[in-house]
Amino acid sequence: MTEGVTSQEITISRVFDAPRELVWRAWTEPEQLARWWGPAGWTNRLETITMDVQPGGTFRVTSVSDADGTEMTSQGMYREVIAPERLVLDEPAEGAWHEGAVSVATFNDLGDGRTELVLHSTIQTTHEMRAGAEAGVAGSLDRLAEHLAAR
Amino acid sequence: MAVDQLSTTFSALADPTRRAILRRLTQGEATVNELAEPFPITLQAVSKHLKVLERAGLIARGRSAQLRPSRLQGQALKEAADWLAGYRGFWEGSFDRLDEHLRDIQRGPRG
Repeated sequence: MTEGVTSQEITISRVFDAPRELVWRAWTEPEQLARWWGPAGWTNRLETITMDVQPGGTFRVTSVSDADGTEMTSQGMYREVIAPERLVLDEPAEGAWHEGAVSVATFNDLGDGRTELVLHSTIQTTHEMRAGAEAGVAGSLDRLAEHLAAR
Repeated sequence: MAVDQLSTTFSALADPTRRAILRRLTQGEATVNELAEPFPITLQAVSKHLKVLERAGLIARGRSAQLRPSRLQGQALKEAADWLAGYRGFWEGSFDRLDEHLRDIQRGPRG
């Protein structure tokens, strides 16, 4: 940890057309998680997954890029496990691009067979990163990067 | 360290004038005079901004003493964009696949 570390909040939510119990199992059973963890183009082999879904238990997934075989490991520790409502994951700073992160996944039963999943992450970053993000840099940066890629 | 470099980059990007300068440079390299034109600030102030951008690795400047044209360095910018887009992108992508997976398993035992 360095001086000047602050935190940044990111919330991502999605409504799934599936009952809460099913969404919860997709998050907590390795055979299911292997089929969706990570963006398209990444494959998770079941033998690389460690999921001890209980408070203090380890979480570890190594995803492999279909394009060039690059490996990406996500790891952390379950801090809270309240089936089928709430999962809290601590991600350490080592080997990551941030200074530590805590992600809270909340599974809301919408009562009509659908489930709203809200993922709220608190990411420890430096003041400078936060200043950049708050200045609304993200959008303009993306456009600049796109522009550069197109040249 | 990568995190320190990112900090410097973001610090440089936090200023609207500097972002406007970068935007102008996407059209090609430019001298201090050319860069200063659209802004109600002195050449000296623009030079200062350019120094910050150069230190952050966002631009490179020519050797010629009088003109020293500036041009964009794509890599630092790309890393900063990746940092911000990466986290959200990871989850949005995962949720797309989770959505598909949940449809599959509800469709029947074939899933």
